[in-house]
Amino acid sequence: MPPGELSSRAATSGTPASAEERTLRDDVVQLARTLPGDLRRLCVRSGESVIEVEWAPEDRAGASSTARAAVGVAPAADPPAGTDLPADVTAVPAPLVGTFYVAASPDADPFVQVGDTVEPGQTLGIVEAMKLMNPIVAEEAGVITEILVGDAESVEYGQVLMYLRTAGGPR
Amino acid sequence: MISRLLIANRGEIAVRIARACRELGIEVVAACSTSDRHSAVAEMADEAVHIGPPAPRRSYLHVPNLIEAALRTGADAVHPGYGFLSEDPDFAEICELEGLTFVGPPPEVMQQMGNKATARRLMADAGLPLLPGVVEPVRTADEGRAIADAIGYPVIIKAAAGGGGRGMTVVTDPAEFADAFTATRAVARAVFRDSTVYVERYLSRARHVEVQVLCDGHGSGIHLGERDCSLQRRHQKLLEEGPAAHLSPGQRAELGALAVRGALSVGFAGAGTVEFLVDEAGAYFMEMNARIQVEHPVTEMLTGVDLVREQLLVAGGRRLQLQQEDVVPRGAAIECRINAEDPARGFAPAPGHLDVLRAPGGPWTRFDTGYRQGDDVSPHYDSLLGKLIVWAPDRDQAIRRMDRALAELRVEGPGLRTTVDLQRALLRHPDVRADRHDIEFLDRSLPALLSRAAALSATPPRALPAHGPLQLVPDPSDQDRPGSLVPTPPQEGTPPCPIRRSPSRT
Repeated sequence: MPPGELSSRAATSGTPASAEERTLRDDVVQLARTLPGDLRRLCVRSGESVIEVEWAPEDRAGASSTARAAVGVAPAADPPAGTDLPADVTAVPAPLVGTFYVAASPDADPFVQVGDTVEPGQTLGIVEAMKLMNPIVAEEAGVITEILVGDAESVEYGQVLMYLRTAGGPR
Repeated sequence: MISRLLIANRGEIAVRIARACRELGIEVVAACSTSDRHSAVAEMADEAVHIGPPAPRRSYLHVPNLIEAALRTGADAVHPGYGFLSEDPDFAEICELEGLTFVGPPPEVMQQMGNKATARRLMADAGLPLLPGVVEPVRTADEGRAIADAIGYPVIIKAAAGGGGRGMTVVTDPAEFADAFTATRAVARAVFRDSTVYVERYLSRARHVEVQVLCDGHGSGIHLGERDCSLQRRHQKLLEEGPAAHLSPGQRAELGALAVRGALSVGFAGAGTVEFLVDEAGAYFMEMNARIQVEHPVTEMLTGVDLVREQLLVAGGRRLQLQQEDVVPRGAAIECRINAEDPARGFAPAPGHLDVLRAPGGPWTRFDTGYRQGDDVSPHYDSLLGKLIVWAPDRDQAIRRMDRALAELRVEGPGLRTTVDLQRALLRHPDVRADRHDIEFLDRSLPALLSRAAALSATPPRALPAHGPLQLVPDPSDQDRPGSLVPTPPQEGTPPCPIRRSPSRT
């Protein structure tokens, strides 16, 4: 998985980790972030301190840069099926299979609501996969016109989470 | 017991697993990449989850998406099929941690069997015969050459983490050893991300014989006879058959017993295969495959045992209900791999749209595929389009039945090429019909086989069956010359046996 998908935020669900585990997890996430390229696997053993890093084979052009970008935008190969969107409306798809959260925690306000204006890079929601929080960020500025998935609902890859009416203009 | 299972695979094996689940009353969740969203298994499944784009690394090899897909759909088990993550111990371990039953052996066993050098050592400990060679990794070319000199040429350099026929180099001349050693290590590093190699004696005229085993999680195991997979192109199997007719009953029983002993000694559970190289002098352990194999239907046809069903039951914790004496192989079975490849262009993948896909039918004729007419054979995945399997009371009838079925099979589409004509040419070769081929036969005889295949493909399909003793569906050049590898020129003179053409053929 690309390092950009990783987040050091503790899981909002599941059992709370011990302080030691949290420190280890933070360290590992930090390590994953600093490593170049598109990681396939990171194996940490604390017994005799083994750290194994496996990179994905370079089967795509510009693997690391496109992987980072893929977090917030649908890959070109997978346009949301069966939709004839107006030219100024963009679908925000789920970049991976997991659970969608509208807010950072159950008590917090949602990241965005219908009618909100968002800036590029702004967090629109979170998809949790295997206890890792993957922020969904806006690729371009716009106004949220519709949110299709409810809080804590599971989503599949490419599923449209929300629609964004873009501000238009060159990007 | 398993009640809902996610299939972490695609194509024919996904359909095969879905069918076994249906018959067992297990609900099926299909994991599908973008290009497989409307595939046969997605249609059959109770639920399909879109797990990623076509590139395997982001879909069928993407562990988080697969695990989340299983959890979100309420699956309690995962079947990895073959290829993809089927031999990945980490995936098996993650499944366990997430409370999902992984249909396969315990992760530790996968780890051990996945490393050929480790597997060699463990099987030697269990008393299985090994080829002269080493069980420890060879670190330098000089060290390797000293070993090769000691065991005698030819030798084979193998990647310890290798599989799928890659990462192996045969060396016949000591002068070539150093280069071959360096090249194999480089391939091993690039393909398997582990440059560890080892060296063993190479048997050039041997047969590839593999024993199917089935073990439960309670220490019981049986074997289900063997398959001969000697017809390989560059270590890629093309045609498999069973039983290995060249074995004596004594040899067969001994190989079966060795395979079960080896599997149980490492705590293996599930369906697996123990591979041997066999020559006049004896049989030698090669490797163990800890998963269901492509060619498993050969054994199913011979024994009447549904291997995927048994695999699922054992994974669910049940004890093996079959005893060794319940397994009675009958007759002969052959499987031909129908690949979307062009043998005339170095077996280059030849995917495309399936304008026509018509499976053969008739008695004891089985066609396993994940494709339907109108589907696209995707360039993102392996080229296996389907598997044609036949059974008959004896080997000769099985060959004739396979040839008949291959002639019935129709695969057409722009750019699509298949291995069908090559398979038909193989079945007509005197060495194959006499069962005296070896693992190098296909590579050695490829030019002759290819011209024979071209002649077959230029021949219009016959509407009438063959007549006379031991004739395959005839073609104009069907003139077998025992021992001769020279192809008969196509369409030359009068056919050796009279062929009546269907009057309606235009």
